[in-house]
Amino acid sequence: MSFPGVLDIDWNVMAPAITLLITAITALLFGLSWRDSRGPAAVALIGVLTAMVFAVAHLFSGNEGSVSFGLRYLGDVPATALTLVILVGTAIAILVSWDQLERGGMGQPEYYPLMLLSALGAVVMASAGDLITLILGLEIMSLPAYALSAWRTRDRQSEEAGMKYFLLGAFGSAMLIYGSALLYGASGSFVYGDVAAALAGGNLALLATAGGALVLAGLGFKAALAPFHQWAPDVYTGAPTVVVTFMSVVIKVGAFAALLRIAATVFPALQPWLLTALAVIVALTLVAGNFTALMQRGVKRMLAYSSVAHAGYLGLALLAANHGGVPAAAFYLSVYALMNAGAFAVLTLVMDAGDHGDDLERFAGLGKTRPGLAAAMTVFMLSLGGIPFLGGFTGKIMVFQAAIDAGHVWLAVLGIATSVVALFYYFRVVAYMYFRESAYAPHTFRSTPARVAIAVALVGTVLLGILPGWWHTLLSVGPRLVAGS
Amino acid sequence: MTPVFTILVPLVTAALVLLLRNSTLLMRVVALAGAVATLVLAVLLPGSRPFSAEWLPGFGVSFSVDGNGAASVLVFAVALMMIPALLVALTRVEKGAAGFAALLLAAEAGLAGIFMARDLIVFYVFWEATLVPGLLLLGLYGGEKRREATTKYLVYAVTGSFFMLVSILALKTLSGAASFDVIDLMLVTPDLSVATQTWLFVGLALGMAVKLPIWPLHSWLVDLNEQNHPSGAADVLGSLYKVGAFGFFAWGIPLLPAGASRVAPILIALAAVTALYGAFGAIGSKHLKRFLAYGSLSHMGIIGVGIFGMHLAGLNGAMYFLAAQMVSTGGLFLVGGMLYHRRRSFDLADYGGIAKSAPALAALGLLTIFAFIGVPGLSNFPGEFMSLMGAFQNAPWPAAIATLAVIAAGVYGVNLYQRVFQGPSDVRVKDLDGLEMYVLLPVVVGVLWFGVMSAPQMQRIEAQSQLTTLQLERVAASGASAPGALGLSAPPMGETLTLGGAK
Repeated sequence: MSFPGVLDIDWNVMAPAITLLITAITALLFGLSWRDSRGPAAVALIGVLTAMVFAVAHLFSGNEGSVSFGLRYLGDVPATALTLVILVGTAIAILVSWDQLERGGMGQPEYYPLMLLSALGAVVMASAGDLITLILGLEIMSLPAYALSAWRTRDRQSEEAGMKYFLLGAFGSAMLIYGSALLYGASGSFVYGDVAAALAGGNLALLATAGGALVLAGLGFKAALAPFHQWAPDVYTGAPTVVVTFMSVVIKVGAFAALLRIAATVFPALQPWLLTALAVIVALTLVAGNFTALMQRGVKRMLAYSSVAHAGYLGLALLAANHGGVPAAAFYLSVYALMNAGAFAVLTLVMDAGDHGDDLERFAGLGKTRPGLAAAMTVFMLSLGGIPFLGGFTGKIMVFQAAIDAGHVWLAVLGIATSVVALFYYFRVVAYMYFRESAYAPHTFRSTPARVAIAVALVGTVLLGILPGWWHTLLSVGPRLVAGS
Repeated sequence: MTPVFTILVPLVTAALVLLLRNSTLLMRVVALAGAVATLVLAVLLPGSRPFSAEWLPGFGVSFSVDGNGAASVLVFAVALMMIPALLVALTRVEKGAAGFAALLLAAEAGLAGIFMARDLIVFYVFWEATLVPGLLLLGLYGGEKRREATTKYLVYAVTGSFFMLVSILALKTLSGAASFDVIDLMLVTPDLSVATQTWLFVGLALGMAVKLPIWPLHSWLVDLNEQNHPSGAADVLGSLYKVGAFGFFAWGIPLLPAGASRVAPILIALAAVTALYGAFGAIGSKHLKRFLAYGSLSHMGIIGVGIFGMHLAGLNGAMYFLAAQMVSTGGLFLVGGMLYHRRRSFDLADYGGIAKSAPALAALGLLTIFAFIGVPGLSNFPGEFMSLMGAFQNAPWPAAIATLAVIAAGVYGVNLYQRVFQGPSDVRVKDLDGLEMYVLLPVVVGVLWFGVMSAPQMQRIEAQSQLTTLQLERVAASGASAPGALGLSAPPMGETLTLGGAK
């Protein structure tokens, strides 16, 4: 149903986002009258699953070329596939939160609606075809996330996390908006493709490149690329672990989805020093993320730095956006969402109700006391570390190959070298679980929904490792609305 | 599908063993049945049809495995030795025997994958994945200092293999090969410039040298063997897992012949040093497992000399030796485990005169030691002899140095037998029991089989060695004439690049 000349809205493209919005409003309205937070959780889960059905239907409909609002809201393969990834990440976060909110005394009814709105923002970012839509998506995604970070009321760390995230996040948004204004000033357009076309002549190149640099910095904040990553470890440590499960996956996917599209279209039209700057940023991220993670004793903080490190690997794909980087990054994000959410999900079961006790010692002897949980954690750790037959390995191979194809051999070498470091801090968790005896009786939490979430993440991680072909092929073929391969 | 089943059967068995861990008898039967089935499949590998299926088409990766060539011999040795290793693991490991057996079986699948892979990425995938069972065996079931040994192993193996990954990924991009399939790569990679080939080869060599292992990258091996479970079952895996030489043979040298030719003089010198260093290490060892670790390191040095001599006979011999030493070294570690079971010690000073009270154990120990040191008619001799003979053709000096290690082997081998089984002291132990007879039966069969019936297996290895020497000749020829001379241009090359499997 579309109205040519009036508003070209393709409801199939918009369906996942609209479903999320309606579900969020419904859950908010009805949630107020429920005493238990599990009701809204169920509503939210149904909404996310419905949105997933729409996304899958669209992905396989063969109409990937369809758009809404001109080229401002895209429904091509990367947009739809990453929407699906965001929805899977959100579903896992909901399942993980299911019992944990009550356990931690955080069961206020607004939790799930805010999470859905944040996911909606990420979906809008992934589908954005112009800078205005991108800014809207970024704000819709960020504002609920600020509130969620401070969800543990009367807890100084959580409040600090929320405040820090809000202040630095606002700073990042401001840079993105300013950069977009400069790009508009130089090109007279907000739509990525038109911006690139207008800049091809080389007019106002410096102005436009400055705009591009600010856009990169603004999105770099959200993606936690060094040196804009400083907030991430503190926020991840302070915020409730269930919220971090959500943030570390969904916000990263949203930010990288936007960055990928801009890197494939706008950046090549700008002055080349911007790509050099991006290469430096990627190198910094790889080194800072991996080496700081190596020094952590707390598993939660280690995972926080590790998520910075993974931003570095995704950065390699950004640099190769026109050399197979887009499917590589989309694949990497799919695996990352599963294995990282899975690792945090395990962490929520191991930590205290008050989100304390993430020390490595907590994992000692877990292989004996909770063999299933330990086995799942082993798979997530080895996959994050890039061991074969798990999705993380396939994703890494793809981004390294893309970087080498794009001529960034040294960055790929750096990426592979830092992967060696990464394997140590990931394997250390495995070593604690199996090679050490527990010093004291571990009191882990049991939750069936969380178990389902871990199982989903586990199956996905293994499946993308053993049979990666179908998903990568799906991501590689199909029309692209805006340049980028 | 035979090659695929050779990988899948042990893997599925491993999963079943874990599921059945609570019913001891059933678990044992399943584990052994799986290992025997794998051995049968391994015997059927020669002449089997290669398998290939799309895996990651966007990246030119297909799941291609071929059980012909050197793989048929190596996989056979692995499958043969897995049976005694499992028997020991299932009976001598007190806690978590099912986990132990499952890890062994998983490693068997991985090793079969390494040897049979005909796609470079698939090869790397198996290479890396097989690290995990070995690490867990050491970390879960090892001795006092297992954590340090695990860390050391992880550092060496992972650092090496990540260098390898850089080269692998750059190899396809730089050469413009259509895919990671061995034939596609071999057609174009030798045309890369010598400088490029050298750097790529150095990357591959760093990963492979660690797992050869070659001095000075060897020290993880001794600690791994010392700290592994005292039954010796995990060390059998350790002696199977020295796959670096195979990497050079099947991938490094044929893919980058010019680079290999430039680096080979350094590597062959290091290999010769390794051979001597290992021999002296063995002579100086008072700990039985360290002794065996050093002795096998010396063997790996000789294998390295055979490979880097880059002569047909040496390549054949090195691969044959690699398979044969799996049997003799693994068997000797099992004998060591039986000694430990009796005396609870690996200190050689705690032994002596065992032959009087345990004549059967001493007789089989002597046979395995003789095989270990390369007595003619037993497993290690043909390969050792040919490795050195081949190396003498192209690099007489390193070969001569490595030959000294063979002489030293006679010294430390006989010395070992004297210190444990003979001598004035009168340590009384039980002789072999029925189970131990069954454990050593495959070892004896393997030792004799590899010693006497070398011809058919050598022929299968040679089918693959010829590809390697062909690639080397191609480089030598291109110096004199245009590429494509000698009838080695693309189409006929593609036809010669098979290992003699069913068409």
